[in-house]
Amino acid sequence: MSVLARSVGNAFRNKVRTAAVVAVLAVAIGLALAMLVANQAVTGKVAELNASVGTVLTVNPAGGQGFEGGGEPLTSAQATTAAAVPNVSSVVGTKALRLRNAAEIAAEAASGRTGQGGPGGQSATSVTTSLTAAVDAGTLGNRNQASTGTTGSTASGTGTTAAAPAFSLPITATGIGAEVDSTGKALQLTQGTGLGNYTAASTGALLGTTLAEKNGLKVGSTFTIQEKTFTVQGLFDAGTAFGNNALYVTLPTAQTLAALPDELSTMIVTVNSMENVDAAKTALQAALGSGKADVTQGQRNLETAVSSLDSVKNISFIAFVAALGTAGLIILLIMVMLVRERRREIGVLKAIGAPNRTIGLQFVLEALVLVALGSVVGAAVASLASGGIASALISSSSSTTAATGQRGGPGGFPGGQGGPLGGASQLLTSVTASASPGVIAAGIAAVFGVAIIGALVPALLTARIRPIEVLRGE
Amino acid sequence: MIEVKNLVRTFKSGDRTIKPVNDVSFELEQGTLASIVGKSGSGKSTLLSLLGALDKPTSGDVVVNGVSLASMPDGKLTNYRRRDIGFVFQQFNLIPNLSAVDNVMLPMEFSGMRKAARAERARQLLEQVQLDPDKHVRRINRLSGGEQQRVAIARALANEPKLILADEPTGNLDEQTGEHIIELLSTLSRDHNTTILVVTHDRALANKTDRRFRLQQGRLTEEPVRTRATAALTG
Ligand SMILES: Nc1ncnc2c1ncn2[C@@H]1O[C@H](COP(=O)(O)OP(=O)(O)OP(=O)(O)O)[C@@H](O)[C@H]1O
Ligand SMILES: [Mg+2]
Repeated sequence: MSVLARSVGNAFRNKVRTAAVVAVLAVAIGLALAMLVANQAVTGKVAELNASVGTVLTVNPAGGQGFEGGGEPLTSAQATTAAAVPNVSSVVGTKALRLRNAAEIAAEAASGRTGQGGPGGQSATSVTTSLTAAVDAGTLGNRNQASTGTTGSTASGTGTTAAAPAFSLPITATGIGAEVDSTGKALQLTQGTGLGNYTAASTGALLGTTLAEKNGLKVGSTFTIQEKTFTVQGLFDAGTAFGNNALYVTLPTAQTLAALPDELSTMIVTVNSMENVDAAKTALQAALGSGKADVTQGQRNLETAVSSLDSVKNISFIAFVAALGTAGLIILLIMVMLVRERRREIGVLKAIGAPNRTIGLQFVLEALVLVALGSVVGAAVASLASGGIASALISSSSSTTAATGQRGGPGGFPGGQGGPLGGASQLLTSVTASASPGVIAAGIAAVFGVAIIGALVPALLTARIRPIEVLRGE
Repeated sequence: MIEVKNLVRTFKSGDRTIKPVNDVSFELEQGTLASIVGKSGSGKSTLLSLLGALDKPTSGDVVVNGVSLASMPDGKLTNYRRRDIGFVFQQFNLIPNLSAVDNVMLPMEFSGMRKAARAERARQLLEQVQLDPDKHVRRINRLSGGEQQRVAIARALANEPKLILADEPTGNLDEQTGEHIIELLSTLSRDHNTTILVVTHDRALANKTDRRFRLQQGRLTEEPVRTRATAALTG
């Protein structure tokens, strides 16, 4: 019999009460762990959003965006100018192309609808590909195409629009100067590797998952753009159907395909920190000249998402601390009760020469046995509940975000990526998936810390018990 | 050697003060087997708890081998109880949810003895007090009063104390088992030079001690006894 064995034995002396105490502790500990998991997930997401989206500025040609509008294209020289602006940590140029399926163009030409691929000023040449778009045109696609396509389809006239056969959407091919998507966020590769050096010509390409699936392509498969053969080097998941109907090649490759070696569609400018974004935006606009470039904070609407996530982060942290405190309080009260109940026994132990620290240790260990049991049950409860709690917290707070973010959604053609909406749903999936063992372990360590503090008070109370008071009997 | 000097212990009950120990002084040489007799409520248990450092006197002092208990801090008193004293309580005061062996092992655990050694010694001690081997691992609250009393005696002997204070150690025992316990105690005092002070109503026990004290309303007086030496001479 040792102190530990005695503590374990004492913890199970009254089995009904032990079960009740463990159940109450499990609820408090489970809640604490669930809140910690939610907090960690949201904290991670906030950091990620701050790092990737919150600090990104998008530079478009003045008067133009995507494949719409007009003005003068951006050049590589402007990228150099942008890079020299204070607080700018990186500048990534992109060159967007619209790819049309070669067979479909031929079919459309035959039916009299021509030049659908080139509205706007920037990509007049239709770039052909062997790929088929993964998105059906549907009502929105037909309507968008009808309104933006009129300049290119004057030959057929407005009268034929209604009678025109359904066409497939173009595929956006973007040349990128780094492994980021057209909003500056790091690409989420699900298979394969990146393209290596994004500032050199390459015959590699990264395909969106649905585009690859639609065309039956895997990593290593080949397809053609402008009759040149490209190899699929990786697949990415942008999280949206629109984003996945796209492919990326290196920047020089796209410039060569477009036969416009020095031109950029956009520049993605990353600022070193969120606080400097506004100043950098002004400086960048001044450096590039307001007549030549439009600088926008691409995903400003995500700031609302970040701030509402920040409040979720705070709420979950407060709830974690409160639940932790509750667990500590439960332990404190239970142990105070046990000490009172076993006064006589404590007196006997003292009478036969047990040092105060041995008795105190015995009670702390007994508390830890109860907490350990509570943690096991609580961790199980938490792993079941944390996903639900996290998504409940986030969906309630992000519904407002989604509403304000709507304007970037389905209405906008290539410029709007459906960002915040897609972002919010991405948040949900990544938040629910992240109940990591490490976080649970850290939470349980915190629970044990609090339990020791909670048990210490009653343990110290035992030191004040005098043997003779109790030996006289109650 | 234990010296008791003008020991007083008073209790307040309502507006009355009672003095179960009233100016008690005596000395015991190391190795003496002594008894205290007296009526119920005469203060015997109170005196014993003062000697065993379970209680603090209102005034006076107990000096053990030259060290005064009155001047000892609580931590030292705990060490004194663990190392130097074996106390057999009138109400046994065993830990009810532990087995007999575990109870006897407790004082040895507190003094840091290794587990195997204390298990072995606990088993030997329980044999010495004639507890059936199959009852060694039985929980205390499933033992009879007499069995519990013998476990309490075994526990008091665990750390080989220099002074054993036993409050009616044979009160719950049959005559034969009581004889055996008396024999055990007198062997300890004779062969191991252990000082033993027993409170008893048992005439057989009181007559076998080297010295006999009587407590009457808090006052201690010594009564003459046939010493063991004379008992041996006269048979
Ligand atoms: N804590 C206390 N408070 C008040 N009175 C007490 C207290 N402890 C003991 N007494 C009283 O002191 C007197 C002596 O008690 P004590 O237990 O020493 O008697 P005793 O000689 O051991 O009796 P017995 O032979 O019945 O065990 C009793 O009258 C008792 O009521
Ligand atoms: Mg008594």
